[in-house]
Amino acid sequence: MLQLRSVTKRYGPLVALDDVSLDIARGEFFGLLGPNGAGKSTLMSLVAGLRTPDAGTLTLDGAALSTRDAATRSALGLVPQSIALYEQLTAEQNLRIFGELYGLRGAELRTRVDEALTAAQLTDRRRDAVRTFSGGMQRRLNLVASLLHRPKLLLCDEPTVGVDPQSRNAIFEYLERRNREGLTIIYSTHYMEEATRLCSRIGIIDHGRIHALGPLDELLTRLPFEEEITFAASPDTAALTAELAAHGETATLNGTNRFRPRADFKLSAFYALAEQHRLPPRLFTQQRPTLEAVFLHLTGRSLRE
Amino acid sequence: MRTLLTLVRKDLIGFLRNRAALTLTFVVPIALIFIFGQVFGLNRKDSGPTGIRLAVVNASSEPAAAKLVDALRAEKSFRVITEFINPDQSRRPLTEDDARAQIRDRQLRFAVVIPHDLIAENEFGLHLKILSDPRNEIETQLVNGLLQKTIFSNVPELLGQSLQARAKKFLGDDSLKRFNGTVATAVASAFGGDAAEIQRRIESGDLGLGTLSSTGKPAPKAADPSLRTLAAPPSTPANADGEKKPVDDIFSRLVRIEKEQVVGKDVKSPDATRVIGGQAMMFLLFALSGSAAAFFDEKNSGIFQRLLASPVTRAHLLWSRFIYGVVVGLVQLVVLFFAGQLMFGVDVLGHLGLLLVVSTAAAAACTAFGMFIAAFTPNAQAASGLATLLVLTMSATGGAWFPTALMPEFMQTIGKFTLVYWSMEGFAQVLWAGQSLVQILPTIGILAGIAATVMSLAVWRLNRSKLFE
Ligand SMILES: Nc1ncnc2c1ncn2[C@@H]1O[C@H](COP(=O)(O)OP(=O)(O)O)[C@@H](O)[C@H]1O
Ligand SMILES: [Mg+2]
Repeated sequence: MLQLRSVTKRYGPLVALDDVSLDIARGEFFGLLGPNGAGKSTLMSLVAGLRTPDAGTLTLDGAALSTRDAATRSALGLVPQSIALYEQLTAEQNLRIFGELYGLRGAELRTRVDEALTAAQLTDRRRDAVRTFSGGMQRRLNLVASLLHRPKLLLCDEPTVGVDPQSRNAIFEYLERRNREGLTIIYSTHYMEEATRLCSRIGIIDHGRIHALGPLDELLTRLPFEEEITFAASPDTAALTAELAAHGETATLNGTNRFRPRADFKLSAFYALAEQHRLPPRLFTQQRPTLEAVFLHLTGRSLRE
Repeated sequence: MRTLLTLVRKDLIGFLRNRAALTLTFVVPIALIFIFGQVFGLNRKDSGPTGIRLAVVNASSEPAAAKLVDALRAEKSFRVITEFINPDQSRRPLTEDDARAQIRDRQLRFAVVIPHDLIAENEFGLHLKILSDPRNEIETQLVNGLLQKTIFSNVPELLGQSLQARAKKFLGDDSLKRFNGTVATAVASAFGGDAAEIQRRIESGDLGLGTLSSTGKPAPKAADPSLRTLAAPPSTPANADGEKKPVDDIFSRLVRIEKEQVVGKDVKSPDATRVIGGQAMMFLLFALSGSAAAFFDEKNSGIFQRLLASPVTRAHLLWSRFIYGVVVGLVQLVVLFFAGQLMFGVDVLGHLGLLLVVSTAAAAACTAFGMFIAAFTPNAQAASGLATLLVLTMSATGGAWFPTALMPEFMQTIGKFTLVYWSMEGFAQVLWAGQSLVQILPTIGILAGIAATVMSLAVWRLNRSKLFE
């Protein structure tokens, strides 16, 4: 459905997107995972036609995205990273305006606005100014406002920043439902939990480059380790940590040691080593590696740096 | 087109829901128009301020001096003080030194001293001293104007006496008598009348000015030939059409003073038009530069991203903002002028059609100005800073605060380059001078030209700016 071919975007000397190629299939829930400044919003803005690439091409169903014809515009919905709503206006007035700008009129517009208000759980607040809404309510409205015209492809740029857990869940469930109904979604985030929960396929982006691309399971199997053991970094564990370096990757982050054993280093061997250092098993947490580990492995830095 | 209308409606709804903007656009300027109206005495039925304390010291024995004091007493604007009250409540005539002391003590602001040499031989004009504490420049101007008016309209023979005294100095007593006699004879033979009587009047300084110098009184009668003879340059034929003209020229200054004093009697007052138009323009400029600066909010909030990702184009965003500005400006101007009609009786309804034409042109120019500010500044703070500076400068030099005639020449020249000046000019042409569409076309053309030029620059710049990224 959407194709990016060798897309490069620069802001002066800064290369925000570096030779990015990407194919998104119809019905996909694609996650774009990367820390702040990775280039996620830049990629979204190129797809939305807000900016033009310095090199490369973007096409939607074969049509170049640089053209500004109404059909292409209407096939896309953009949920901007910030709350892109008129604060002075009511929820309903906002939705009506955005609907009208997509050419909706009369009864159809009214139905769509009602549906959107229901989806955002804002029906009883429809006549209140957006300025009076909580962060979560504004986020929900920000999302449904981009779906009024029923686009084929929805671009969600970090739609849950500053949202309470309840609203966040509501947004997830809504997006999942729309995706099941056939909406193709590109979802950018720096929360690996979101990408893990929502996305059928994930692209890991950093410094304007896509470092890995694939379904979650596939990304995880690319790791050279299957387990990850974490434990508190302390003088007691320092000797053990030093010794572990010979058997796999070790990293210390925020007072926590992470150890990823090489495939030939069995867990039983690890616990035997711990016992030699008189460290009881309860000190250690053992888990399947996460996207976080994948990111760290690929880019050498944490998502939340 | 629909897109444009939707965007304009969106701006209008936002405006109507924004109480601060509404207050600044309508309530504050109406309040200020009211206040300035009081200052300029726009809705008083008498002439100007009343009860200004004026000390009068009369050291002259001329009968005309006593007449002048009476005239000042009769002037409603002044409360004349001629006596000094001792601590024991006894009274004596005020002296010049008393007046100076009281002005210095801030008990008094103005004093007129009529010295013993009221009519001096060695200078033209009357010798009067006006002492003042110019704490308030406008008030000082006002009082000076009132004094001149009182003197010239009530004791005109003073001027004639002064002329005679001056002539005596140059010609000598005998020659002057001969000259007066010749003139009187010439006048009598040309226009009829008794030569001796005419000569007596010329010598007493009674040139018949009194009948001319105050408006509303009957025009001078032909039986007053001395007037024409002395006032008109010899080359000017004293025919029936031309006879009033030279007098008007000499007293154009006087007549001007008259006009300032009559403000408020005349509902089509230029001052009322200026006060209303001036405040309206200033607040309109502030409102519209504020609305253009809202571009920055929309950019920062990501609304531009949302809109530009939809079938909305940059041109839609720019021109919807322009249309919105013109609509708000037009409504504001008309509302404020109607408020002016209610408060000061400016005839708005009678000129509504042309007022709408001028207001549209003025609103377009103001909107373009707002867009220009947004286009050439990097953010909202810079925009509001630059807007404040330019709006105040344009309002001051363009005549929104006080008549441009009060300003130095170079400032008047600067003023002519502002849209405020031309808008005010248009308002005055329509509301005060009652001119026709054809007559105001040049002004409309200039305003439209300003709007088009400034808007082109703004659009050119905005299309290259980061605003829409
Ligand atoms: N308009 C811009 N001008 C200059 N640099 C920009 C602009 N927008 C983004 N950048 C830079 O480009 C890089 C990518 O930004 P962005 O796409 O916003 O990242 P993300 O959305 O992943 O946080 C960052 O280094 C950012 O500072
Ligand atoms: Mg971003």
